[in-house]
Amino acid sequence: MSDIVFTNVARNFRRDGKEFPALRDINLSVRDKEFLAIVGPSGCGKTTCLRMAAGLEFPTSGTVAVGGVRVTRPGPDRAVVFQQFALFPWKTVAENIGFGLVANGVAAAERARRVADVLKLMNLAGYESAFPHQLSGGMQQRVAIARAYVLDPQVLLMDEPFGALDAQTRVVMQEELVRLARVNPRTVLFITHAVEEAVYLADRVVVMSRRPGTIREIIDVASVRAADSWDRFEKIEDVMDQASFVHLRTHIWRLLREQQAPDDH
Amino acid sequence: MSGSVPAPATPMDARAPLDPATRWRLGLAGLVGFLALWWAVAASGLVPKAFMPSPVDVARQFARLLQEPFAGHTLQTHLLSSIGRYLMGFGLAVAVGLPLGLLMGWFRTLDAIVTPLFEGLRYVAPIAWVPFAALWFGTGIGGPTLIIFAGAFPPCVINAYRGARQVEPYLIEAARMLGLSNARMIVQVLLPAAVPSIIAGVRVSAGLGWQSLVGAELIVASSGVGYLMVKGQASISTAIVMSGMVAIGVVGLLIDVGVRQIESAVNRRRGKG
Amino acid sequence: MSRRTVVGIATLLAVAGLWYLLTAATGWVGSARFPNPAEFGTAVKQIVTGGYAGARIHEHVLQSCKLVAMGFLVAVSVGLPLGLLMGWNRRAEALINPVFLIIRPIPPLAWIPLAIVWLGLGDGAKIMVIFFAAFVPSVINTHAGIRNIEPFLIEAARMLGVRGPRFVFGVLLPAAAPLIFTGLRLSLQASWTTLVAAELVGALLGLGYVLNAAAQDIFPAMILTGMVFVALSGAASTWLLGRLEQRVTRWRTA
Repeated sequence: MSDIVFTNVARNFRRDGKEFPALRDINLSVRDKEFLAIVGPSGCGKTTCLRMAAGLEFPTSGTVAVGGVRVTRPGPDRAVVFQQFALFPWKTVAENIGFGLVANGVAAAERARRVADVLKLMNLAGYESAFPHQLSGGMQQRVAIARAYVLDPQVLLMDEPFGALDAQTRVVMQEELVRLARVNPRTVLFITHAVEEAVYLADRVVVMSRRPGTIREIIDVASVRAADSWDRFEKIEDVMDQASFVHLRTHIWRLLREQQAPDDH
Repeated sequence: MSGSVPAPATPMDARAPLDPATRWRLGLAGLVGFLALWWAVAASGLVPKAFMPSPVDVARQFARLLQEPFAGHTLQTHLLSSIGRYLMGFGLAVAVGLPLGLLMGWFRTLDAIVTPLFEGLRYVAPIAWVPFAALWFGTGIGGPTLIIFAGAFPPCVINAYRGARQVEPYLIEAARMLGLSNARMIVQVLLPAAVPSIIAGVRVSAGLGWQSLVGAELIVASSGVGYLMVKGQASISTAIVMSGMVAIGVVGLLIDVGVRQIESAVNRRRGKG
Repeated sequence: MSRRTVVGIATLLAVAGLWYLLTAATGWVGSARFPNPAEFGTAVKQIVTGGYAGARIHEHVLQSCKLVAMGFLVAVSVGLPLGLLMGWNRRAEALINPVFLIIRPIPPLAWIPLAIVWLGLGDGAKIMVIFFAAFVPSVINTHAGIRNIEPFLIEAARMLGVRGPRFVFGVLLPAAAPLIFTGLRLSLQASWTTLVAAELVGALLGLGYVLNAAAQDIFPAMILTGMVFVALSGAASTWLLGRLEQRVTRWRTA
């Protein structure tokens, strides 16, 4: 079992010597092999949720557990894909992807095989010896996803992974991710502020409220997807054309709109 | 949004800021430890006192130098003579370096003429000018001034040049459209736009000038703090040498703090504070 | 050839011409103040073949280079780990920084008298002076290099399970390499300046000693020769360091 369970999680942060609640009453479980997306207004603490699952930050109270084990530090069993890609600029594509395997003592022969597999899976073949700065943003994020996949992690934590990409590249990457999820399903926690992206990719979408962040509603997308068989479409625009998709999207938009403070646009 | 949430004190990134109380406590501990170690070495008698005075001995010597003349003058008088030389050399470097840098930034031909000369002279350590400085200008004020100039000049030129080259092209085009002459262009467009870079250069230059002054005084002067240290060295008085180092360090620090103040005042006025 | 190169070459030729004109041709600048080209040539020939100030040029150059290399290496092998420690660990920084702040404003050359009192006029004193000169920039820049590493790179490394020496040598140092090399360049420059100064104050061999002897002998042609060799040695060592930097940070330009 590789699920992610948040139990009564609260997190405060400190500014100008005062404590502010950032997250409150988070009770959520991401099921095994489920793709769960969190959307919410900026500042609602959605990235903090992901970072707590990654072991990069810790709850002020409550617990976060992955696969039944409480998270106390970051590790390769919970691979993170960062918005800023976070590739090592001095390592080639192959070295970046293989770095986690090296660090965890995987033998050279097996390492080479696994890196080659994931290079092919992510359409990166031929770029093995390129350095990150020689690649476009989309290609860099492919490398970052490959670096996470190659570790064969229990869960994948994706923090607005397509936030830094242009609109066209973003669409391509979203389609790739759906393809990847079909070939190789994983437990995924996906943070985004793009509603359509969340509905297109996720099995369930969590809508969060503004600060202090709480869970506003959890929307079941998988049943709608199955009922209307979105999977028959190859292209994202065809899915987005479906009345069921539009309906879900509008519903989430309304929920977010209620959270909007007067100073937001 | 993650920007507003500070990282907790985790073992992952030891670069997370400490709370001020801990920082002060550790800093004080470091300082006390350093002085205690110094004092212990001096008090142990393993090293003769002439070579390793204790911090207290140095403080006493420093106070004595303020009252009794050594190497001809009291410490204050030596310092004044050092500062006088410094201001001459540094002032000259600023007065020649900044206009030259701006002109190079505007006139491409001048740039092409000066740059190779500059590249050629770059590797001559300022202190290597000492023999010529003494030969040409003597050891009074002229020689040391040339050496300070040699140390302080390059950053002035380079930063004024860079500042002028980095002026936004649209500013120049706008000024061109208004029909500005070359002289006005340099004084009213390039100079103001280059000010941040110039001040950064002046700060580096102020530091390098002070360093060169010390070198000059060690070798070719008959007064000044450097001279006082040489005399202290000759009479094997480590306490005097260290007093000189303290005086030089303090003045150097004051110079740097002063230039930084000007820098932040200018940046504030320009709305970049 | 670009216009810039043409003007550059023309300038250097013009300077050479002007030098000849002012010294040998017209005598406006006398030999007692600045040598003419012929005198300079003779002085170079003398120090290369016969020797001056007790040794031939290659011995002086080797002596200076040896001391710079030793002082620089000692300074860097202390300064780089210290900068790494202070950049990475805030506690270590808080402990060491005040002491460092006291030592930092003392100009490198101001250590010369202390070094002479402690260690005399031999190689030890010069290495000590170079150490203090080269130490500060390598600490400061390594510190800044480590401190400026993007937090997400550290997090990515932690997430991948990278730790221990692999974390230091595979992540921290390469990430800080550009600034570390800036520090090394400044350190090297400071090493040469202080060595020349230390040798001017007291030495029996080395380029600074050549300058000192030439100044005592009022021998302007030899002063110029000494300066030229100081510049050449400085330029050569800077070039070597640049090559090393290129090799190490190849990924930036690839």
